[in-house]
Amino acid sequence: MKKLPLWALFAIALAVGVLIQVVIQLGFVNAYLALVLSYMCIMILSSLGLSIIYGFTGQFSLGHAAFMGLGAYCAAILTHYVGSESGTVAPWAFFLALVAGGAFAAVVGYLIGLPILRLRSDYLGIATLGFGIIVRVVLENSDKVIPITSGARGMTGIRSPDFIFLWAFVTLLLGILVARNLRFSSPGRACLSIREDETAANLMGIDVTRYKTIAFVLGCAYAGVAGALYAHTYVFLHPMSFDFIKSFDPLLIVVLGGLGSLSGTIVAGAGWVAILEGLRMLLSGDLAQYLEWRYVIYPVVLIIMMILRPQGIFGTHEFRILEPEEAEEKPVSAGRVEANGAHT
Amino acid sequence: MAPILEIKGLSKQFGGLRAVSDFDLTLEEGDLAGLIGPNGAGKTTVFNLITGVYRVSGGDIRFQGQSILGYEPHEITRRGIARTFQNIRPFPTLTVLDNVRIACHVHDGYSTFEAITRSGQFSRREREMTERARELLDVFHLLGRQYEVAKNLPYGEQRRMEICRALAARPKLLLLDEPAAGMNPSEVGALMDLIHFVRERFKLTILLIEHQMRVVMGICEHITVMDFGQVIARGKPQEIQNNPQVIEAYLGRGAAARTAP
Repeated sequence: MKKLPLWALFAIALAVGVLIQVVIQLGFVNAYLALVLSYMCIMILSSLGLSIIYGFTGQFSLGHAAFMGLGAYCAAILTHYVGSESGTVAPWAFFLALVAGGAFAAVVGYLIGLPILRLRSDYLGIATLGFGIIVRVVLENSDKVIPITSGARGMTGIRSPDFIFLWAFVTLLLGILVARNLRFSSPGRACLSIREDETAANLMGIDVTRYKTIAFVLGCAYAGVAGALYAHTYVFLHPMSFDFIKSFDPLLIVVLGGLGSLSGTIVAGAGWVAILEGLRMLLSGDLAQYLEWRYVIYPVVLIIMMILRPQGIFGTHEFRILEPEEAEEKPVSAGRVEANGAHT
Repeated sequence: MAPILEIKGLSKQFGGLRAVSDFDLTLEEGDLAGLIGPNGAGKTTVFNLITGVYRVSGGDIRFQGQSILGYEPHEITRRGIARTFQNIRPFPTLTVLDNVRIACHVHDGYSTFEAITRSGQFSRREREMTERARELLDVFHLLGRQYEVAKNLPYGEQRRMEICRALAARPKLLLLDEPAAGMNPSEVGALMDLIHFVRERFKLTILLIEHQMRVVMGICEHITVMDFGQVIARGKPQEIQNNPQVIEAYLGRGAAARTAP
């Protein structure tokens, strides 16, 4: 069977996204479910960012939610001042906000990366954890400088653009495409080699610092864009939403999906949101008193998963559709050494 | 013409331990030289100093007439020195093809932007890189293994893949750290042929560390012997074999006295 080309897959996915948005517009889906669908896209996008940082390059980061928060606040402040005159955010202004959110998180990621990316594994984790806490404290006190964020009381009055689900969905598709293109390329392989063995990678000519930085900055940009989407989906921001504890969500998704597998991150991200929100629906009505048990059920799922399949859902594999065709093999046999004895 | 590698007065101190002291070595282009010595003599430390893994405490290393002190390992690799490892270090969960293509990146790579947008030199470079990696794998009889994950290869094949990977970085000087370790006699024979072959084919200068005397005496044109971080002898294989100091370093004083002429 001939493999479906990648563009066809994306065209189909886009059509599905438009269809879902139409269904939402027609009111067949309640507002809550529409919100969950958008949140799913946002969560997957953010996790893809961490997948690039941790899954590809092996840099253990616990500050992902902080970068998402920086992007969220940056975008929300921007749309507060421009493009919200008509009650919704104008498409151009929202596009600008997504770019600004991503760029701001990326710039901060670059600056913080300069001193801390030389750290390895656990140490990097602690440093990023510290950074996450700093960001939360800064956000809690941000109203001293930018009054509209309202600091620890939370930022309200954010407008939403039209068709927010489609925005999130298309951004996610773009995010998948970029991550996939990176994964199957020479710079992407450079990142993978750092995860595998940093010293050996350096000795094979890979500029380790450079590719660590590229991966980290790109991953932070994903978090920033996801944050911008989050701000305009939920139209309310609170510093606690980006506390370091929240950094564990994308981390779990990346590990559950399989470190280094984009497909795994996508599936685990969708599944994670579906389980948490599905349980919320299931535990309604008479069962509402058990709602908090969600936070018991999903860790149990996690533990069982780690026992049965420690390499994650996908291991390091990808959906075949995401993999590129390897170039045709040319027959080569010019002067090879015979296995035993003289060479030809 | 200047020698390809010129090491003068090289020393390395780890706290109070002098791992290498006043080490000299000169390699002319096309040489196939050996570095031998008992365990702990400082051979691998010398490799780590040449390739920039350790900072040099004293002395100078010149490659093609230029000092390479203070450079990062990847910059030294870019200049043309590649190596293998005493304890093999493949990229274990990546395919054999990817292992080799990673080392191609230093000379045949392209930018991250081109990768993400699939533009510019991406297609051409990617195709060339893959072809080159496959050619190399074919030379090393590993083409049939290209899509296998490196850690699943038998030990001997992983060792060959490492040499293959080092060659992908287009080196002029190849450092082999115990290439025959853990190989059986027939594999060792094939390896010796292979080393000769790649030197001719890729116009290389080779410096190797080895414990198996059969390899060292069989293929090295000249040998440097180290003990306790210092050079104790250098010369052609026959000269080394009969050098009492070398025998003493390897077998102890009594043995040297018994075999002395």
